[in-house]
Amino acid sequence: MFQRILIANRGEIALRVIRSAREMGIECVAVYSEFDAHALHTRMAHVAVPLGGKLPSQNYLVPEKIIAAAKATGAQAVHPGYGFLSENARFARAVREAGLVWIGPPAEAIEAMGDKLKSRQRMQAAGVPIVPGLTDPVADARAAGAAAQKIGYPIAIKAAAGGGGKGIRIVRDAAGLESGFRTASGEALSSFGDGRLYLEHYLDRPRHIEVQLLFDTHGQGVHYGVRECSIQRRHQKLLEESPSVVIDEATRDAMGEVALKAGRAVGYQNAGTVEFLWSNGKFYFLEMNTRLQVEHPVTEMVTGTDLVREQIRIAAGEPLGYAQQDVRWKGWAIEVRLNAEDFFHNFVPSTGTIRNLRLPGGPFVRLDLGLYEGMQVGLDYDPLLAKLIVWGADRAQAIARMRRALQELNIGGVRTSAPAALAVLEHERFQKGDFDTHFLEQLDLGKQHSEHDALVAAAAAIWRQRQATRQALAPRSGEREAWTERHRRALAQHTDRAARREGPAR
Amino acid sequence: MVRVDGQPLELSYEEVDEHGQVSALCAGRSYALSLEGSPDRVSVTLAGLHYEIGLEDERERAAHAAERGGGKGGGIVNAIMPGIVVELLVQQGQTVERGQPLLILSAMKMQNEIAAPQGGVVERIHVAAGQAVSAGAKLVTLAVGVAAGP
Repeated sequence: MFQRILIANRGEIALRVIRSAREMGIECVAVYSEFDAHALHTRMAHVAVPLGGKLPSQNYLVPEKIIAAAKATGAQAVHPGYGFLSENARFARAVREAGLVWIGPPAEAIEAMGDKLKSRQRMQAAGVPIVPGLTDPVADARAAGAAAQKIGYPIAIKAAAGGGGKGIRIVRDAAGLESGFRTASGEALSSFGDGRLYLEHYLDRPRHIEVQLLFDTHGQGVHYGVRECSIQRRHQKLLEESPSVVIDEATRDAMGEVALKAGRAVGYQNAGTVEFLWSNGKFYFLEMNTRLQVEHPVTEMVTGTDLVREQIRIAAGEPLGYAQQDVRWKGWAIEVRLNAEDFFHNFVPSTGTIRNLRLPGGPFVRLDLGLYEGMQVGLDYDPLLAKLIVWGADRAQAIARMRRALQELNIGGVRTSAPAALAVLEHERFQKGDFDTHFLEQLDLGKQHSEHDALVAAAAAIWRQRQATRQALAPRSGEREAWTERHRRALAQHTDRAARREGPAR
Repeated sequence: MVRVDGQPLELSYEEVDEHGQVSALCAGRSYALSLEGSPDRVSVTLAGLHYEIGLEDERERAAHAAERGGGKGGGIVNAIMPGIVVELLVQQGQTVERGQPLLILSAMKMQNEIAAPQGGVVERIHVAAGQAVSAGAKLVTLAVGVAAGP
């Protein structure tokens, strides 16, 4: 086993890896940007190496700096987390060539799954069902028209180099094909520098279901069941659960077998996830994520397995030591991503300084976080601040528990996705399990709460007055003149004056 | 005792700390509130739900009313989020319709078209392509109520 590993990441995932490693008696090396000198991962590692620079392109995305830090500190292996360089085959190879162990899949498997068309070809050849459509790029709009006729409308035009929802156009009929092709091609070229497009049949009311896999380096592989990730917007997930209301045990095992087949076809090792689209009782391969995923904790909660620990054990060459029938599932888990974004304003990013934290606790509540009081939330890094995960004996209990935990939570200084998640959890259709990947986009987040409007408005007015009093007690230069008179009066009277709700409560 | 919409509301209000944690008792029930913000805009979180409260006292209300009455305001388009101006889609002096994209603002993974909230003539453009802007920054001033061009 390793004595020391380097974690090439930041935020909640860096801390997540540090925690498992510490439990295994392994020392951790953190790397950090100028911006992250006070970050939790920097503080909680055994050794921290500054990489310099504020932007990710100057630190977390520079393979040479990270490998040099590993060599200098005597780390034996590198855990990439998710995002940043985690699916960069060149980095995985460079780590290996530097005599270090890569805690992840072989570079060849990352490459094989990285190209959408190549992976479709590989999967089709391996007998894995893919979304009906092409496995080669189409030359032009005319060829696309002919192919679309064969596949059947509606059609999704996708960029071969695509990702993150860019370069995708949904076309309902032949009339819209040419313009759809043109705009998708332009977007693919500008986003990825690669204008190649292919066509897929656009599935009706799809759900996003994925299977967690682990392969050791001795040819043994197991699946860890499914996660349902259909609550998403612009391909960014908000809430995930395990298992899924639409997947019974037989289907779970069938999907698991297919996922294992997909992994074996590319010589997979370590942890990975096969994503499927599920529609009308059938499932189709979408892509494979060759890394640990953000939502891995829901699988951990229902299987009682520390997936990061397994990743490190596998990378160290240990055999899994158990077989498929040893993987057991119990209860239901839900995760909510707490992103710095403003759901009042169409989920635009929210920036500010974190304060006024109130963190939830209690039975079966887990909080994986990277935030701390005083943390600056800017635009340069991923907006994910923390993940709230709960376990329940069944889905209803998990939903009730997550609602309770979200009600306890407060993250001040920025807007977060928490109220949006709460709206999902309270929705009748979500509770019934009747939803697809379009659910969140269609959810009306505008209308919320009225019950406590009066109380909240009154409290806000009192708060303003108290703040004013406090500021009047400690006057500073440059204070707004308009305040002064009112504050002096408030101070003189020294009472809680009647505060009246004047403005519109929103 | 406070009055809300003319109705009396009996409320006990205790600040738990100096950061914005507040304990309120009202009608025999206990509420744990989190408050923060500026004097005219207070954010309140109660039981996971978020409330944005706009506050103005009598003097401020009079001032705001005068501003609106003067035909000013409403013509300035602000950045709803911090970001970078990718591209300007209009020019000074140009007549725009309501909903017409004025510029593209990029923040993290998203490019957002910022549309005209109402029709008018572009009086002034406050930003240039490539410029970083903070939330609330002035982007474009529209002269509204001006007769559209020929």
